[in-house]
Amino acid sequence: MDQNEPLQNEKIERVLSPHPLSFMRLQSLCLFLIIWGVLVGWLVNFSEYKTLLGSMEWYPILVWGGVLLLVGVIASLITIRWSVLILYLGVFLAGVGFMWSQNWVKDSGIFIPFYSIFISVAGFLLVEGYRRSHKYIISNLRIIFKGGIFTKRERTLRYDKITDIDAKQGILGQIFSFGTVIPISASGFGLGSDKTLAAGGVDVGIKNVRFLGLFGGGKEVQTPRARSYYELHGIYPYKEVKNLVENMVQNNVITPYQQKQVELQEEQKEVQKEQVDIQKQMRDLLKKQMVSNDESESEDENIKSV
Amino acid sequence: MELSPVDIVIFAPLAVVFGVLLFWFLQLLFIESQKYLLSKIRAKHEPLCRFTNFIGILFQTICHALGYTVTRSGISHFSVNIHYGHVKPKKEKRGIFEWISNSFLFLGPFFIPSAVLLTSVYFFTGRSFFIPSPAADAFYTFSEQFIAFGTALHQFSVKFFNFLFTIDLFDPRHIGFILLLVFLGMGIRPSYIGEEKKKKVDMIYDLKNIQAHITSSPLYVALLFLLAYIFYYISLLLHGNWYVALFSIFGWISIIAIVSLLVAHFLILLIKITDTLPKWWALLPYSMLPLSYILIRIVFYFLPIENILFFSLLFMICISALTILILVKYKTNTFKTKT
Repeated sequence: MDQNEPLQNEKIERVLSPHPLSFMRLQSLCLFLIIWGVLVGWLVNFSEYKTLLGSMEWYPILVWGGVLLLVGVIASLITIRWSVLILYLGVFLAGVGFMWSQNWVKDSGIFIPFYSIFISVAGFLLVEGYRRSHKYIISNLRIIFKGGIFTKRERTLRYDKITDIDAKQGILGQIFSFGTVIPISASGFGLGSDKTLAAGGVDVGIKNVRFLGLFGGGKEVQTPRARSYYELHGIYPYKEVKNLVENMVQNNVITPYQQKQVELQEEQKEVQKEQVDIQKQMRDLLKKQMVSNDESESEDENIKSV
Repeated sequence: MELSPVDIVIFAPLAVVFGVLLFWFLQLLFIESQKYLLSKIRAKHEPLCRFTNFIGILFQTICHALGYTVTRSGISHFSVNIHYGHVKPKKEKRGIFEWISNSFLFLGPFFIPSAVLLTSVYFFTGRSFFIPSPAADAFYTFSEQFIAFGTALHQFSVKFFNFLFTIDLFDPRHIGFILLLVFLGMGIRPSYIGEEKKKKVDMIYDLKNIQAHITSSPLYVALLFLLAYIFYYISLLLHGNWYVALFSIFGWISIIAIVSLLVAHFLILLIKITDTLPKWWALLPYSMLPLSYILIRIVFYFLPIENILFFSLLFMICISALTILILVKYKTNTFKTKT
């Protein structure tokens, strides 16, 4: 739906986009790249370790790549997303490949900081583009989630289909007044799961005869989670928007008490309708009676005159 | 000089305590002034004030948790946000344990952030941690104790300020230190600026809290003094300087806290002044800081002189201050009179 194509009786309440700092997880990846790249440049060119790092032309690259991948592994383990490691691995391999192809390996101390700045700036621009591709429209009838850089995505959620609202605000969000609201639908859209798995292996035996046993277990916890395109991600001002959504949901949900009231009102309407019908019938009867009385009176008068 | 036994036994141990109290009080005054400045820029810089609140509350909560850990009460709940922090112990302990954990809560925020800074200063100026030796300067009386304490603080201050005035802004470690100094300087305070001014939370409020804490259990305070005296006598008998050393650490912490608060003051003042400037002109003072520094470092690279780092910093500060003055004169009504 376009913003200028509302439904019948639809009124747009708010059009929102995520806060510029709401994708800090992605931005911090770029930030680390830039800081570490510049730090490597300083270590190789200006610090007291420059002779040590300059003794072998591959040392700066190894230090740079080693820390980059180590941080990638740690970040991947914390966020349970291997994409961070893959991203850093890609940046590292692309950088090494470029240096090698251009024969700049011996000048890695100069190349690495500039390359890191270039990649980080590109990363920041990509994140900003991704952020700007989000659009959330809150109307009096539904919430529309739109987004996508190349593939256009859209989700429409009517308020009566929202069963639960999850809201969260991190420290950065508390400081800058933004937060995320996840409306969970009856179908479970907006729910994810955290899985933990543990496994162990036993390898016993001697020489060529060995036994291998594996045992393990898992646990799954349902948690509100959705892609940023399908939630109100990093919206500002958080409190106002959250209240607006909650009020909209409340106004569109009929509670059991209200439902009973509606039923009673409908019964009353039927009774009233019946009463109106009876009154109509009575009125018709009265009219008929009056007409017949008039007729009989006129007949009597005619007889008298005759 | 004749030594009075009363002076040595009773008054001498109090000298360093008074010294620490004096510096702590100075720290309190700076905190109060910082809070006043922050409240002045609050309307336009709400996120900054929230951020400073968060740092203050974070340290206060950490101190409270530390108190429970020290008293072995355990921690069953720990949460911090920008308005308040909450720590719940596993076991509710009464008496001296409760008093100790509350002491951490009330006094910790004044010392813990600057203790973090002191640790980082050690890596830059390790040899500045100087404690006067009793063999060289016999300090047995109140005045000698005070002089010894002052000497320890003076030696440290000289090295610390020497380091501060020769900070190299091209060195990432020094940049990290400056950031930490500003970051912690914003949060060295136990109370915070609320969204609405419901209750006056100021220096008097903090002092009242501490006073109530002390007067609630005078026995524990007396015990604390007794322990200090015992420690002093042991140091005295063994001709050690541990007593002065211990209190000197608190003095150093206070000095660092005051410097950190001063730097934060300059930053807040800069923000306050630039608020009065037109939108794009307000960016100029911020950009002048790095630009002037880079420029002068390039000049000094080709025309080397002595004390390059100091003069580079001085140049940066002077040029930035001059830029601000010019902007304030020509872009605001501050220096203009009615004609």
